[in-house]
Formats: sequence, structure tokens, C-alpha cells
Amino acid sequence: MEAATSPSHLTEEEHRRQRFWARARHNLTAYAFLAPILLFFLVFMALPVVWLFYLSFQHDGILAPARFAGLDNWRRTFSDALVLKCIGNTLYYCVLAIPTVFVLGMIVALSLQVVRRGAALLRIVIYFPTLQASLVVALIWTFMVHPDFGLLNLGIRALTGMRINFLGDPHFAMPTIAMIEVWKGLGFWAILFLSGLLALPKDLYQAAELDGAGPIRRFFSLTLPLMKPTFYFAVIFATIVNLQLFDSVFVLTDGGPVNSTATIAWYIYRSLFTFSDPGFGATLSFVLVILVVALTALQTWLLRERVR
Amino acid sequence: MLAAFVLAVTVVMSLAPFFYVVSTSFKETKSLFSYPPHWIPDPVYFGNYVALFQKHPFGWWLGNTLAISAIVTGLKLVIDGMAAYALAKLDFTGKHAIVTALLVSVAVPLAALLIPLFLITRSMGLIDTRLALILPPLANPLGVFMIRAFIAGLPDELILSARMDGASELEILRRVVAPLIRPGLVVHATFIFAYQYTSFLWPLVAVRDLQKQVITVGISSLRAIFTVDWGLISAASLIAAAPLTVIFILFQQAFLQQSLAGALKE
Repeated sequence: MEAATSPSHLTEEEHRRQRFWARARHNLTAYAFLAPILLFFLVFMALPVVWLFYLSFQHDGILAPARFAGLDNWRRTFSDALVLKCIGNTLYYCVLAIPTVFVLGMIVALSLQVVRRGAALLRIVIYFPTLQASLVVALIWTFMVHPDFGLLNLGIRALTGMRINFLGDPHFAMPTIAMIEVWKGLGFWAILFLSGLLALPKDLYQAAELDGAGPIRRFFSLTLPLMKPTFYFAVIFATIVNLQLFDSVFVLTDGGPVNSTATIAWYIYRSLFTFSDPGFGATLSFVLVILVVALTALQTWLLRERVR
Repeated sequence: MLAAFVLAVTVVMSLAPFFYVVSTSFKETKSLFSYPPHWIPDPVYFGNYVALFQKHPFGWWLGNTLAISAIVTGLKLVIDGMAAYALAKLDFTGKHAIVTALLVSVAVPLAALLIPLFLITRSMGLIDTRLALILPPLANPLGVFMIRAFIAGLPDELILSARMDGASELEILRRVVAPLIRPGLVVHATFIFAYQYTSFLWPLVAVRDLQKQVITVGISSLRAIFTVDWGLISAASLIAAAPLTVIFILFQQAFLQQSLAGALKE
């Protein structure tokens, strides 16, 4: 029987060898295609993460040679009042900015969905602020909130005779930065939510309308649940991006007044360039990585359950 | 009705700051502080625009930014396209591990890698060179997933029949796959270009020499400690916004498509 299926043992062996070489050739081709991204990924992404961990056990390394620090940096990270303040500020900013930009973005998306005339032009205009560099946006907003010539302050002054020191008051500074980031991000989320809305099945809405469900009812019991996959992506993406807030803080307040806008990314930058202490900065960076990964994992777990 | 109102408010809010900046850029800074303000500059002052190019290396900043963004975009399209094709249509050992590693790294905050990236780039002798601004961004894995989603949508038969005809994988990618996913590649290219054009933190850290600097860091360097020349800064911000605006209008379809979400649905 065996002789009928394969003429001899030798060809069976040859078959196996052929399959092995075919597999090897496949692998070689695939890895040749992957080589460039893997090379850059290893050098500029994987190696930095490993190095971060190694650096967190060192002192100096910028001006003076590096030396072993034991757990010094880690101890300092958890006892330094400014570290806790930065983590608190960053989370405070996320809580201010992310829900606001999501609610406003959804409202704008729903409005865009209804409008018939000039929809294309409207989308372009609304996306315009999103397109600009955070740095340019921050500078442009100086012209809105400046105590002397800021447009917002000119309006407030005309109405009340007073002016608000938006960025100079420790209570207002972080909400002002959140407002600026919401202004910049609104177009992005509005367009993203709009593309989610346009992909929803139309017949479900017709059925709901026939059943007498009003627009508000339809929004809460149809649109929101159906949009879950979009929200799932949106929440995770927004968290990763916003936890790294740096550009507008650097330009507008440089962490002040009285550290009220000091964020984790800002402190990492300062620890390298003002304090020349990469070991401490690396420890702080590691805390940021852990924070982002933990929050992403938590959100994945919470939202995955409900998406299904 | 309500929708029209919401949109009208959004449009005014989106554009008002830009108009005010345009007006400011044609004023001498000292006239900014007069109250009530002059909405339309009188006389129209061009000194801010002239000073940018004569007193500051603004031409260099603009040129560097455009060149670096274009180079990164070009390289990234090739690198991501090749990787995406392998992950979407080739069968090989260790695929799952590579996908997982790249996917996890999407969640790694780049701001956290600042210090090791600085030290690695420094040990390569690249600090204060334009190469330092080109190489690290190539590691970003997000684009691989975006392009992979486009390639995965193509029918397998297409690739199999090209293989039967004796085409190599590289030829299949170039002649069969790339033309078919061109719209996706345009989306990807516009995103990388815009991302690169607006990047700030890494150039701020990696380059000190102002002549090699990009536009975002350049503009932020215009702020002096005590007296800030707001007229100059508004002129600089407007010129910085111009190239992206032109590209946006040319490729608006791509920008507004937002396929990012689809790429990461795993």
C-alpha cells in the first residue's frame, strides 16, 4: 500500500526536504520585507524601553560619567512632591479635556450628519484647527487669552471692565490649556465620530422611527451602543496622546504658575535639560509608560466586555 | 435648525483666532497694546514678515521642515508597505510574535522614550544633525497596521495568480498591490507628513543649532524672556500654517477619511 502512494522512501525524504526548503524560503522572503521596520523598531523603540529601565538605576551620565544609583531614583520618584503633582496635573488635564472634546465632537458630528448644503466646506473649516501644530495653536491662543490684547479678554473687558489672567492664575491655567487642546482636537474627533455615524445601518433607524422612537431616544438606545467600537478606539487613543501633554505647556506656562501646569512629560524634559539628571528622568518616564499601559489595559478590559 | 446653529458657532470659534492672528501679523507689536484695539491694521506693516527672513533663519526652518517631512514620508511608505505586505499576505514563522510586539508598542508613549532616544542618538554621533530628525520617527509602527488593513482587504487569488505567473513577491507588491491600495497610501502619506511637520518635542531635544532646526522649534525660539515680539510670532505662525493648509486642501479626501480606527480594530 505504501509503495503505491509514494514510490520509494527516498522520495518521501525528498518531499520533506523540499517542504523544509520551501518553508525556509518563505521565511527568508517575509523577513527580508520586515527587515527595515524591525531594524528601526529595535534601535529606536525596543532598545530605548530596555535602556529606560537600566537608566533608572543610574545617576548622572550627561555632564559627569554615569554611576550606579541603586534604588535612589525610584525612592525619589515616589517621595518627590513635584512628581505626585505632575501625575495629578496630567490626570486632571485628561479628565477635563477628554470628556469635553468627546461630547462636543459628538454634537458637532451629529450636526454635520444632518446638514445637506455645504457639508464638504464645513468639514474642511472644522478640521482646520486640528491640522495645525500644537505649538502654533498654543501661540495663536496667546492672542486669545493675553491679559492686554487677548481677544477673549477684550470681550470680557468690554462687558465687565475686568480682565482674567487665564494663564497667570494657578486655578485657571490648567483649564485654559485644556480648553486650547479641546479647541484643537474638536475637528479630529468630530470627523472621526462622523465617519462612525455614517457607517451605521440605516434600516435600524427607519424601524425605530416607525416604532415611534424620538431622536433623543434613538440617540441613546441606538447610536451610542452601535458606536461602541469607535468609542473604544477613541478612548484608548485619546488617553495615550493626552497623557503625554507637553507642547502647549512648554510654550504657554512652562509648568507654572506654582507648578499648576507641570505635566509628566514636562518634568521628563526638565530633568534632562535643566537638571541634567537622566536617571531620575528615566524613572519618571518609566512611571509614564506604566501609567499609559495600565490605563490602556484597563480600558481595553472594561470596553471589550461591553463591545461584545 | 439646532444643527445649523451648532455648526455656525463651531465655524466662528474655529476661525476667529486665525483672523485675529492675521491682523496682528500686519501690526507693529507696540500698537497691539492700544485699547480699544484696531481690528484692521492701519498702516499695514510688513516689517514682521521681512524680519523673519532677514533677522532670523526662518527660510532654513521652513526648508528643513519640508525636506525632513518629505523624506520621512517617502521612506516610511516603503518601509511600512513592505512590512504590511508581509504581515497581510505572507505566511512565516514568528508572525504572531511580531504582530504582538508592534501592536503593544503602539501604546508606548513616545514622550517617555525621550531620554534613552537622546542618549542613543548621541552615542551614534547624530545629535545636532538633520539625520537625528529623520531616523527615529521611522520606528513608529502605527502605519504598518494602517497599510496592512488595506492590503488584507485585497483578494488572495490576485496575489496567487501573480505568483503563478512567476512574479517575485517584490514585483507583486510593486505592480499588483501598490496600485490597488493607492488611496490608502495617500491617506497614510498625508498623516505621516502632517505628523512630522508638526512634531516639536523630539526636534527640541535632538537639535541645538538653529540653522538645522525645524519650524515649530524655530518659532518657539523667537520668544524672548522679557519682551515678546507678538507681531513677529504671529507672522511666523501663519507662514508655518500655510504649507499644511495647501496640502490639506489638495488631499482633503484623505485627511477626512480617518481610516485610523479601522486599522487598530484587533
